[in-house]
Amino acid sequence: MSIQYKSIKNLTSMLQNKEISYKELINETFTLIESKMDLNAFITLNKDMAIEKATLLDSKKNDSLLAGIPIAQKDLFCTKDLRTTCGSNMLSSFIPPYSATVISNLENAGCISVGKTNMDEFAMGSSNETSFYGNVENPWGKNLVPGGSSGGSASAVSSGIVPAATGTDTGGSIRQPASLCGITGLKPTYGRISRWGMIAFASSLDQAGPMARTAEDCAILLNEMCSHDNKDTTSLNEHIPDFTKDIDQPIKGMKIGIVKEFDLSQLDNEVVKVFEESKKHYESLGAEFIEISLPNISLSVPTYYVVAPAECSSNLSRFDGVKFGKRCDDPKNLEDLYIRTRSEGFGDEVKRRILIGSYVLSAGFYDAYYKKAQQVRRLIKNDFDEAFLKVDVLMSPTTRGPAFEAGSKGSDPIQMYLEDLFTIPANLAGLPALSIPNGFVDNKPIGLQLIGNFLEENKLLKFAHNFQKTTDFHLKTPSGENI
Amino acid sequence: MSWETVIGLEIHVQLSTNSKLFSGGSTGFGAEPNTHVDLIDMGLPGVLPVANREAFYKAIRFGLATNAEINQTSSFDRKNYFYPDLPKGYQITQMAMPIVGKGSIKIDVDGSEKIINITRAHLEEDAGKSIHDLFDGETGVDLNRAGTPLLEIVSEPEISNAKEAVAYFKAVRQLVTFLDICDGNMAQGSMRCDVNVSIKKQEDEKLGTRAEIKNINSFKFIERAINFEIDRQIRIIESGESVVQETRLYDSVKNETRSMRSKEEANDYRYFPCPDLLPVVISDNEFNDIKNNLPELPDEKEKRYMSEANLEEAEAKIISSSKTMANMFEDACSKTDDSKLVANWLVGDVSALLNKDNIDIEESKLSSNNFATLIERISDKTISGKIAKSVLEEVWESGHDVDNIIKDKGLVQIQDESVLEEIAQRIINDNPSQVGAYKGGKDKLFGFFVGQVMKETQGKANPKSVNDILKNLLDS
Amino acid sequence: MDKKTVTTIAYLSRIALDEGNEDKITADLENIIKFVDQLDNANVDGIEPLTNPLEKKAQTREDKVTAENRKDTFLDRAPKSNEDYFLVPRVVE
Repeated sequence: MSIQYKSIKNLTSMLQNKEISYKELINETFTLIESKMDLNAFITLNKDMAIEKATLLDSKKNDSLLAGIPIAQKDLFCTKDLRTTCGSNMLSSFIPPYSATVISNLENAGCISVGKTNMDEFAMGSSNETSFYGNVENPWGKNLVPGGSSGGSASAVSSGIVPAATGTDTGGSIRQPASLCGITGLKPTYGRISRWGMIAFASSLDQAGPMARTAEDCAILLNEMCSHDNKDTTSLNEHIPDFTKDIDQPIKGMKIGIVKEFDLSQLDNEVVKVFEESKKHYESLGAEFIEISLPNISLSVPTYYVVAPAECSSNLSRFDGVKFGKRCDDPKNLEDLYIRTRSEGFGDEVKRRILIGSYVLSAGFYDAYYKKAQQVRRLIKNDFDEAFLKVDVLMSPTTRGPAFEAGSKGSDPIQMYLEDLFTIPANLAGLPALSIPNGFVDNKPIGLQLIGNFLEENKLLKFAHNFQKTTDFHLKTPSGENI
Repeated sequence: MSWETVIGLEIHVQLSTNSKLFSGGSTGFGAEPNTHVDLIDMGLPGVLPVANREAFYKAIRFGLATNAEINQTSSFDRKNYFYPDLPKGYQITQMAMPIVGKGSIKIDVDGSEKIINITRAHLEEDAGKSIHDLFDGETGVDLNRAGTPLLEIVSEPEISNAKEAVAYFKAVRQLVTFLDICDGNMAQGSMRCDVNVSIKKQEDEKLGTRAEIKNINSFKFIERAINFEIDRQIRIIESGESVVQETRLYDSVKNETRSMRSKEEANDYRYFPCPDLLPVVISDNEFNDIKNNLPELPDEKEKRYMSEANLEEAEAKIISSSKTMANMFEDACSKTDDSKLVANWLVGDVSALLNKDNIDIEESKLSSNNFATLIERISDKTISGKIAKSVLEEVWESGHDVDNIIKDKGLVQIQDESVLEEIAQRIINDNPSQVGAYKGGKDKLFGFFVGQVMKETQGKANPKSVNDILKNLLDS
Repeated sequence: MDKKTVTTIAYLSRIALDEGNEDKITADLENIIKFVDQLDNANVDGIEPLTNPLEKKAQTREDKVTAENRKDTFLDRAPKSNEDYFLVPRVVE
């Protein structure tokens, strides 16, 4: 019996009913991975360790829900003694001496890390085209991008070779690829999941999250991924609920906000149609719709493209060829070492963002750009705060359209930046948001975004699960059959 | 032409915490290179800083002792620049909201007092060390020091000459050691300073262009560097040129300052709030606790020594001038009722030895324990004052234990009067002519007899007993 | 954004722009800056900047040494080191 396209829930019951052994599951997983190498979803595999762990699990009884579940880890999380590249040439031989908290949490829960997934370099991109390790293919079509930056994770889950993967989301990097690959992806509240061991892109925006076939699987993963971590002072010291608990509760009478300023008229008719159908579906489940105004939300993308580059320009200064990572050959002197290491180690998109960041922080421009952007950021957050007095969740398309072809966005970076139009606001305000498959455009999947109030992941998951219980978009596979 | 000098100091004080400002790495000095380096100190990808609360407490003590504004909510910013011993490519410091605001400190220059205002004192992390001279063509980087908490104390530009600058530095050092927030060890770099020097014509309002001399770590060098810099700037201006705003390095071998152009190029630190660190808030309870448990400061000690121990003002001042000296005084006083005796030894013999070697008490081999024992042995008459002097000299050289020296050299004072009487009688018997002369009126010869007894006893006789016994034998 | 500004920022960032990409990157930067200039439209008078979505106070640590000595791992995995130090080309001060 093939394990391809199986959810975590399916696999757990197969393991517990002894339909398959832990080792068989991992061996099968690697057979699948190796049969799909053309996706280029992985940068580094962890085969020996994975098999060893599975063998160990076979030798003793294990009741943990996640025991033996194969997980693909975004190559942005440090994994002790396992190469971690962050999609960059700069870290092509970087072996971390420690593991990220979220990796440890999942592994302690019994998950088996099968490999490190491809991604946009340092998570800067929306198509996985900025990876030093090559483009990732979207299983839904030759030469289609999987989205980014968590493109390898999305592709791996979408192709059914792993039931779940980790991702990170700074401006949409979990939700946008989830949308483009037809899977479910959740970005939790900022601070829910420890950032310790996550290679920082923009510290005040970065948040890790689960990517899986279903909202229910995301909830199962989230239960283990969250923790209060005293190694991260921005880690929330709040009660962590059982995210699977209320997921079955009805949403009847709950209120969904539609953001007036998200101008859908600019989108393709088909995309709008899919969105309108989802609205109708939620109405049929008993939800009410309210139009909500977020007056400052149109400034989200420019705000983001000041804040994120500013933080990244500083966060990426540690890659200087001195203590770890790449160093250029035969540096003539210290300046030469810095400049050549960084020029050779970083790709063009990373360089662009570092330069923008240095510019907006430099003397004379700080107030006009950086400070102003952070002020606008507060306005955006205030808009959300008001909105959530009136509604339970906000709803929008996740992306402007379905997956596009590699290279099709041309060379204008701003066209790519606008990919994250709908996803960026949640990061600026630190709010939880998820994407679920809600239809197809040109036979390519597309996603629906739900944004929740601070700490209300459970509500989001309930909305998503209710949708998935009554639709089958998430059950379609690229190979054409329904699961 | 008459020139006025304007000097401002930025003093970097290493706070004496056990662990670093943002990591659990040890701050211990002198360890093997790169052994006190945590993941965080390495600036590894994915690591995050967590602030050490003790550093805030220590900074607040300084603020309270300088009557400064204390910001119970303070925050951190990043200062971005590249240097091999700066692992993250930025230094975490407090720019916008420092823990300590405006305050002041009293300095003493040749007996006259002056108040120097302090602009601010903020927490920041120290860099590692670059070793330039150990390897051929290469610089070695040791990150042991990276992340050690520093309190950077920034003075107003109110210092008028090199002497005042040194007095200010000394006053700060005295304070931080009394507050127990820094060991004050300059040789180990626990205190370093950057000096901003500019000159202007007396009648000018506007300050001149300043040069910043980086990283000086001795009183002597502060004075020399400033004086060199003043001369240099006067020469430049008088020759019709103008001073360039730049960072300079003091070369103690050549006794000159020279430009560090490497640090000048495109000097834009791009400060911004550190997104990894939320503001740190010190509660009213914590604040009051620090305030109520502030260690006794030099001025208070001086007053107490005068009132409780009956010391003269001059003595009290000398003893309370350094934490080590004050500790020695207090430790020794616990071993004797005679605080005057303790003061005399410190202000007298100990100070003389310090002057002779031109060192500070912290640098001497005389420990507080050993000094207290010495006083105790004088007090309980185990040794005479004279013997004590030689013991002190020996301790000064070797650092050996006082009791061991007394034991090994057999210096215990002879207390048994019958022994002394026997010796005295023998000497009187052996020197009939001197006895005759003494009895004939040559009073001065009494000293001769005392000397002989002391010689015979190798100085171990209690002088007062010898006097009494001889008087008794000769005058009867 | 002129060439000189780009040169300065590139130096601050320790990134070299070569003939191949200098014009393109300069043009991109110009466009991006033009794009973010939309922020001029916002009225932010009296608005406190929001630098982190968690408006909370920081958790801090006790003053305890918890680090282990990882000297060998760090130095072994460094681009260039000897038995004691990370090594870089000689810095002249």
